[in-house]
Amino acid sequence: MGIEMLALLLGAAMLVALALGLWVSLALSAVAILGIVIATNVPVGTVMATTIWGKLNSWELTALPMFIWMGEILFRSRLSQDMFAGLAPWMRGLPGRLLHVNILGCTIFAAVSGSSAATTATIGRMALPELSKRGYDPRIAIGTLAGSGTLGLLIPPSIILIVYGAATEQSIARLFIAGVLPGIMLAVLFMGFTAIWAIMNRSRMPEADPPIPLMERLAATRRLLPVILLIVAVIGSIYAGLASPTEAAAVGVFCALILSWLSGTLTKESFTQALLGATRTSCMIAFILAGAAFLTVAMGYTRIPRELASWIGVMELSPYLLLAALTLFFIVLGCFLDGISIVVLTTSIILPMVQAAGIDPIWFGIFLVLVVEMSQITPPVGFNLFVIQGMTGRNIFQVALYALPFFCLLVLGTVLLVLFPEIALWLPETMLSNR
Amino acid sequence: MRVLLNQLYRLSSAAAAICLCVIAGLVLVQVFGRIVDGTLRALGLPIAGITVPSLNEIAGFLFVAATFLALAATLRQADHIRVSMLIRAVPLGARRVLEGLVLTIGTMLAAYASWHAVFLVIDSIQFNSVSFGVIAIPLWIPQSALAIGLIVFAIALADELVDVVFGDGVPTYQTHEEAKSDIIQRPVITPEEAERGSS
Repeated sequence: MGIEMLALLLGAAMLVALALGLWVSLALSAVAILGIVIATNVPVGTVMATTIWGKLNSWELTALPMFIWMGEILFRSRLSQDMFAGLAPWMRGLPGRLLHVNILGCTIFAAVSGSSAATTATIGRMALPELSKRGYDPRIAIGTLAGSGTLGLLIPPSIILIVYGAATEQSIARLFIAGVLPGIMLAVLFMGFTAIWAIMNRSRMPEADPPIPLMERLAATRRLLPVILLIVAVIGSIYAGLASPTEAAAVGVFCALILSWLSGTLTKESFTQALLGATRTSCMIAFILAGAAFLTVAMGYTRIPRELASWIGVMELSPYLLLAALTLFFIVLGCFLDGISIVVLTTSIILPMVQAAGIDPIWFGIFLVLVVEMSQITPPVGFNLFVIQGMTGRNIFQVALYALPFFCLLVLGTVLLVLFPEIALWLPETMLSNR
Repeated sequence: MRVLLNQLYRLSSAAAAICLCVIAGLVLVQVFGRIVDGTLRALGLPIAGITVPSLNEIAGFLFVAATFLALAATLRQADHIRVSMLIRAVPLGARRVLEGLVLTIGTMLAAYASWHAVFLVIDSIQFNSVSFGVIAIPLWIPQSALAIGLIVFAIALADELVDVVFGDGVPTYQTHEEAKSDIIQRPVITPEEAERGSS
């Protein structure tokens, strides 16, 4: 069988398996088995067992369950309830006022959760009714929510970056640090747009509330502040080379337990639920990674990625064109797949091609997360849009329309990242350790 | 039988959770040891030298065990992700056929993987493979966790398959799967309320 035929066949098999509702991790393995059986006569089962064992048996990956566990504990310590109350008093003075709560709330929440759908749902369920009650225009309220639900995924500790790092054997610490500036850049773009919109549409904003004295503001934030400090400390210690991601995460779990004990939400039940929840989420992601690792090895046997890479080389496609083509491809995938699945599904095939084009793999990781998150709110279909459709009862085209300005800002952010790669690469270069 | 199986899944996921606790504990001991040593050194005192030997390897092994032992529970709580768009859109009869199909494929895959994981363990025992670290850990120990986890996973998939084909046709994870998307999609404001806000 020709390699083009094989590629088409495997691609079709993957689509069918996913559409039928086969679990993503199993679909990856099934296609890998198919590829090896057709292309070679190596013993499939042995390759499968040794690949899975070799891939998951890794010190770097232990950061994954630790960060997930930290997030699970913080979820259960009334983080989401405290978010609105803690952020709102500070935002009253800015043009756009409480709309910024959506943006910052999503940023902080995504830093601990790592799923854009969960972030959008949690922040939205709390903020949308409040904003609607206070008379904010639902169009902009929904738009800010849809946009910012995606942006925090770059802010470390980002689960999706751990997944990318593990799938492509890049340093997780460097990826984390590389995500900091692009994440902040997007938050600034979003908040800037919201402020400008609010100034230009004064008639569509509710009356201003009187400002709140500083001490009251601090009192309102007292439960939120430790969480923010915890995230900053985790990232800071990785940046300063004091701790590896796993160590920082284990300390993070410990501090999260103390925080939740201090806030009186640590019970035997909440501890068990957080632990079991973390065990299952970590299991789900690790099993997908195992399937992806097996698929990567299988793809190596079929020589498809190498052929693709040399094909790109022969075409002398400029990196910009390549990135534009990949962006379109990810946006299509984002219609029905969540971010983590997109990352593992594609890295096994496209990374050789990307490296052949001379693109830095750390930079590409940040680019990939940005584009994948963009794909979640691409009109007319995207994962996050479905979530908001369900929450607000508005149809998906309306939601997509409200989210459109933020989609454009994400495109702008991506273009900036392409033109100025230093946005992602400068901080990792100044890191104190070369872990 | 039912009670026995449920017990098996619960036991397996509890073991996985304990693995995670042990990872966290060992890493914390290591970090604590480093802080103590740093302080002692700063004070000009001899260091205590508290470290966990071969921590990197042991943590990796525990992570593998945690991942695979939790597979069955993750399936039953609908935490393994999949594209459920089609399966939820088709009528009930067709849905049962689709669930049966993916569960059959899943059971076969898991059984195949278990079979070869057992071979991996047997190989490690025969060749006396040990880890490279300060503490030479026989590889069959963590690899057994991998094999056992996969076997329990295969049993859980077959269990669901039997349920779908011969039972009421509803897999255990279905209620969890639906509850999950319902939580995410539960309305918070009606369109009327939203309209009133905008006018």
